[in-house]
Amino acid sequence: MVRRSVALLRGAAASGLSQTLSEILVCPLSKQPLRVCNKTGSLVSDEIGVSFPIKDGIPCLVPKDGKILEDDDNNVALRSGSPDDPSSTNMV
Amino acid sequence: MNSFLFRLRRVSESASPSSSLLRSSRVAPSNEWVCFSTDSEGSSGLRIFDRDLKRKQRDRAAWLMRPHDSLTDTVADNLLDRLEDCKKTFPTALCLGGSLTPIRGLLRGRGAVEKLIMMDTSYDTIKLCKDSEPKMGDENMEISFVVADEEFLPIKESSLDLVISCLGLHWTNDLPGAMIQCKLALKPDGLFLAAILGGETLKELRIACTIAQMERDGGVSPRVSPLAQVRDAGNLLTRAGFSLPGVDVDEYTVRYKSALELIEHLRAMGETNALLQRSTTLKKETALATAAIYESMFAAEDGTIPATFQVIYMTGWKEHPSQQKAKIRGSATISFKDIQQQFGGGN
Repeated sequence: MVRRSVALLRGAAASGLSQTLSEILVCPLSKQPLRVCNKTGSLVSDEIGVSFPIKDGIPCLVPKDGKILEDDDNNVALRSGSPDDPSSTNMV
Repeated sequence: MNSFLFRLRRVSESASPSSSLLRSSRVAPSNEWVCFSTDSEGSSGLRIFDRDLKRKQRDRAAWLMRPHDSLTDTVADNLLDRLEDCKKTFPTALCLGGSLTPIRGLLRGRGAVEKLIMMDTSYDTIKLCKDSEPKMGDENMEISFVVADEEFLPIKESSLDLVISCLGLHWTNDLPGAMIQCKLALKPDGLFLAAILGGETLKELRIACTIAQMERDGGVSPRVSPLAQVRDAGNLLTRAGFSLPGVDVDEYTVRYKSALELIEHLRAMGETNALLQRSTTLKKETALATAAIYESMFAAEDGTIPATFQVIYMTGWKEHPSQQKAKIRGSATISFKDIQQQFGGGN
C-alpha cells in the first residue's frame, strides 16, 4: 500500500500540488506517505484513514482540518478517483 | 566542515526564582490535563495555549499586517544574517509559522535557497503570502505553500537542509516535541534556526496589567503568556538532540505613542493572548486603567511609552561526521604546561 501511495504522489500535478511538495509531504500524524485523490481534491493518509483538503493548491495538513474516512465504501470510492491506480479502477 | 560564527551578545542569565520548568511555573494547570485527541503518544499532553484561537488570531493578523513592520523585519534580518556566516548552502528550506512575509522579503538569495516551503497554521496568512508572491519577482526560487501545525510537522524525514522559524515557536504547547520533529525532518548537517520571544518580553505590560487588575477587579488573570528563558533555550536545543547548539539574545525596545497602539501592534502581529486559562472578558475600565498605569510608570519624557521585546535566537545542527567534536578524554599527547611554556604565557 505504501509503495502504491508513493507512486501516486508522483502523478500529483493535476491537483495543483508542486513536485517539491509531493516529494516532501507526509501525513502529520502517522508520518506515512500521502496519496493524492484527484476526484475529491484531497490528500489521503491510508494508514489512519484521514483525508486532508487541498484548497486552491494549498494543502491543509493541520490535524483538525482532516476528515476521517469512515466506511469502506467511501474508501473504495475515493480510491477509484486516482487514474494511476489500475487495481482500484477495476473495483468500480 | 561547518564554519559558523557564534556571536554571543549579552547572553543574560536572568535569575528569577521560577527557573527549571519551561513555561510551567506561572500557569497552574487545574483541569487542563485532558489529552488532545490527535496527540501523539510522545508528548506530555499538557496544554497551555489555545492553538485554535491562535490560528484565528493569525488569520486576523493576515488582514491587519503592516507591509513593513520594523520589529519583525529586524528580527528576520538578524536571523537570515546567520546564513551568510555559513559556507554551506541550503537548497531546500522550510519556513515555519510566525513572521513569514519578512523572511520571504528579506531572504534575497542568502543561503542559496532554491526551494522554499512556507508553512503556517493559518490559511489566510499562507494565502496572503501566495498572493503577494508574483510581486516578489524572484524566479530562481521555487516557493511552495502548506497549511500545517508545527506540533504535527508533515515533512518526510531527512528531506530539508534548513528549517527557519521567526517568532512562531513560542506559541507551541510542546516546544521540545516540535523541535525534535524539525530535527527529524532535517538532512544530516542541516541547520535549525529559530527566533522566539523570551521571558523579558512585554514586562512593562505584564506589570501594568497585574496592577490594574488588582486595583479594579480584585484579582489577577494571566494576560501575558509565559515565555521561555534564555537558559531554557540551550536546554531545548540539547534535548532535541541538535549538535553545536548556539543561543544568543537581543533586546529591542519599541516606542509607541500610547498603550493602545502597542495592543494594535500586537494584534497585527497575531501575538495577542492565547492562553487556555485566559479570562475571556476585559472591562473597559480595567483596560483604560492598564493604559493609564503603563503610561504613568514607564512613559519617557517625550510622552512615548517603551515596550521591551526580548528575542532568543537559537541555532542547532543535525549531527554529521564532518562536524567538529571533542577528542576522547585522555587522548592528548601534549601537556598544557608545555604549551604555556612554548607561547610564553602566564606572565
